[in-house]
Amino acid sequence: MPLDALSDISDDALLVAFGNGDMSVARALTTRLTPRILGYATPMLGDRAEAEDVAQEAMLRLWRIAPDWRQGEAQVSTWLYRVAANLCTDRLRKKRGVGLDTIAEPEDDRPSADEGLQQAARVAALDGALGKLPERQRQAVILRHIEGLANPEIAQVMDMSIEAVESLTARGKRALAAALAGRREELGFSDG
Amino acid sequence: MADKRPLDDGELDSLFAAAQARAPVPPDDLIARILAEAQAQAEPVGAPEPRATGLWRAILGSIGGWPAATGLASATVAGLAIGLGAPDALDTLSGGYLASVDSVYELEDLLPSYADILGEG
Repeated sequence: MPLDALSDISDDALLVAFGNGDMSVARALTTRLTPRILGYATPMLGDRAEAEDVAQEAMLRLWRIAPDWRQGEAQVSTWLYRVAANLCTDRLRKKRGVGLDTIAEPEDDRPSADEGLQQAARVAALDGALGKLPERQRQAVILRHIEGLANPEIAQVMDMSIEAVESLTARGKRALAAALAGRREELGFSDG
Repeated sequence: MADKRPLDDGELDSLFAAAQARAPVPPDDLIARILAEAQAQAEPVGAPEPRATGLWRAILGSIGGWPAATGLASATVAGLAIGLGAPDALDTLSGGYLASVDSVYELEDLLPSYADILGEG
């Protein structure tokens, strides 16, 4: 089936089709979901290569669960974020022996031709500050403010109450705001 | 002197917007690895189950496999039941007429006699 024809079909339906042996939907699922895992795992781990490993592992788990997936019971993206979150936590725990400081500064992606230096500087600063947040706060802030998930979905991903999510994101934002104080000029906020 | 105030919500939102715009594009080799695993997952694990061979396979194949064989068996049993059960029902319906046929007529009663044939010839 051509990819365009699948754009209106839900993740859920595509996954069920894959579980029933329809390989033609695998590419659509991959191109649709992998960027979301990378979007979460990259700032979470501060390491693009590790984030790609997490994405591959999370997608493998998705392929495995596909034959047992029941349409309408859960959102595929929520399930996948949850798997990715657990995989990131495992990796962060292993790294803890090495020391958090070594992973706090993410690899700074070189700005591409269409990405301004200012934007690149902002992303790098944000990634750096995110890396210094406690893990749960970082997780909640990334899911809420970068991945754009609603609080109830974050609560499902993180297995906590909505109130707890709200509290985590608020604390996370305050910590980021404080961590980036003094860098206004560098970030292009000097007018404020 | 640098402004040491914490960033406000608007400034933080600008940073988040920049991070959203980064939208990581998965490299081709990662997509290829993920699709290869999808393919491996979709393929059946291990060797195919052994199939019936020889005469039975031929018979089953000719009638349409096991579903047809079970249908055939059901029909056979049903036919046998009808065959065994029908005479009573039929006897009742016919008012006992059919059941008494044997005692009333012999085989030769139903056939023309030689005498009739010779007489006509």
